[in-house]
Amino acid sequence: MQHTADTVAQLFLSPRNVGDVAEPSFVGRSASFQCGATLRISLHVDESQRITEAKFKAAGCSVLVASASLLIDQVIGRTTGEAAALAQQGELLQKKLGALPAERSECPALAGAALVAAIGKYSDSVRDDWEGDEALICTCFCVSERTIEREIQQRELRTVAEVTAACNAGAGCRSCYSLIEDMLEEVNGKWK
Amino acid sequence: MIYLDNNATTRVAPEVFDAMRPYLTDVYGNPSSAHSLGRQMKAAVEHARELVAELIGAAELSEVVFTSCGSESDNWAIGGFLEQNPTRRHIITTRVEHEAVRNLCEHLAQIGCEVTWLEVDGSGELKLDDLRQALRRNTGIVSIMLANNETGVLFPIDKIGKIVREKSDAVFHVDGVQAVGKVPINLKELDVDLFALSGHKLHAPQGVGALYIRNGIKLPPFIIGGGQESGRRAGTSAVSNIVGLGAACKLARTFNEHERIETLRNKLEDEILSTIPNARLNGPPDRSKRLPNTTNISFEYVEGENILVHLDQAGVCVSTGSACHSTVKESSPTLRAMNVPYTAAQGSIRFSLGRYNTEAEIDYTLKVLPDIVGKLVEMSPYDRELQALKMARSSESSL
Repeated sequence: MQHTADTVAQLFLSPRNVGDVAEPSFVGRSASFQCGATLRISLHVDESQRITEAKFKAAGCSVLVASASLLIDQVIGRTTGEAAALAQQGELLQKKLGALPAERSECPALAGAALVAAIGKYSDSVRDDWEGDEALICTCFCVSERTIEREIQQRELRTVAEVTAACNAGAGCRSCYSLIEDMLEEVNGKWK
Repeated sequence: MIYLDNNATTRVAPEVFDAMRPYLTDVYGNPSSAHSLGRQMKAAVEHARELVAELIGAAELSEVVFTSCGSESDNWAIGGFLEQNPTRRHIITTRVEHEAVRNLCEHLAQIGCEVTWLEVDGSGELKLDDLRQALRRNTGIVSIMLANNETGVLFPIDKIGKIVREKSDAVFHVDGVQAVGKVPINLKELDVDLFALSGHKLHAPQGVGALYIRNGIKLPPFIIGGGQESGRRAGTSAVSNIVGLGAACKLARTFNEHERIETLRNKLEDEILSTIPNARLNGPPDRSKRLPNTTNISFEYVEGENILVHLDQAGVCVSTGSACHSTVKESSPTLRAMNVPYTAAQGSIRFSLGRYNTEAEIDYTLKVLPDIVGKLVEMSPYDRELQALKMARSSESSL
């Protein structure tokens, strides 16, 4: 679909993904102190850390409604890690929405912030529920050493970005980045 | 299109256009010229001055000076007074003035004037005791609007004028832009020294206004140049626009459907407030304290701009005082001054009716509005608050 300046108007008049997903769900909120807009995004995430369903509710301008509508379209089916990365790249969303007036330039970021908050709730809960006895490498998304090793081996991964895309490890605070690098070197080294 | 935004501007009345047409086609000349064509133009300007003076009850024709707009009139009144009286730098005004006065006074405060801002209560009304306390013998100018552009609240300029006279030597300026043509005004009977009006609010074209300057009040010229407007406002007179303003004033004087408009406004207001649970009135419930054509209603917990966009799609023009409108990213200073909660100020819509509105148009608006608000309510993240409002309303109505 060719996105034009009308994208905002179209998405605003017929927004997609409005509502709340059924509970239990992961809910994130954002608000602007500048304009008073508020946004809530709720998610379902499956066992492979993928977003299966997401919805939003907003009291804010048409650009915010369009941003949330479009962002959710783009993250359904993605891993929470990928989705969080996407949500933090406001400029991608802005590009898709077309030229925005200067005073609305922060609205896409507000949509991203609610999604990141919802994903944060998800990773908190994964961590709280963690009962395994394996060593955890990525504590943001509770990805164990064994899982990362398996992914690297089975999918023949070569970079940290590939690992993140495959299993979410490294998608949060990135403090495990160097550990994943070490594992890549070790596993790939063994395979050589 | 159903036009419910008559406080923003009004359509040029056909009668006004007919009066203007000759001056945009066959009849031409500079009113300052001595030849017959010039004199003809001059006569048209002076006739228009009579019509304006009649509508506002000016005692003398020389008290009416044509300007380009209401903001110019306001700027000239206040700025001119201070230029004429540089030592009298205490100004009294209100928190809810139109930008033409409010922003000017903010600017004047920054360059060394002392400004007293009168507060309003939750209904948008002034406490006259505040004015009494603020006035000093040496106060320079008091500037208070007659009718608020957003809420339609009328300030009692008769009482205010008396208080100003009694307590001080201040000059009293009234921004009458939103009131002229909607309520009767008789300046002869009021203690008002300066009075601003604008043509396009009463079915004249945009680009013409007037300032009433009571005889005896001295203001320096707003534009220095030729001798137009008795040397008080230079620049070739915009004859066709001035003729339009005169014709609009004549039309307003003979207009006898204010009650019909008021009835339509009341119907719109009553039905919205009784059928939409998150609707609340901004302004005094006593309608005699408001313009007969205006109702300002907040739809709590939803965004006013979104209601505006949906209504526009449905063919209804209104305006909103909420955030992010055009280039301003803040809620309406008038609603803030009234302490309207933020979540309600965000969802405020102003409906302002005019002479061309019909009952069928109001019925149509009442038909489409609940679904639009309902759709936005469903989208709002304030579900608990909205649910509480809905329950409060239904228990009210079952009582």
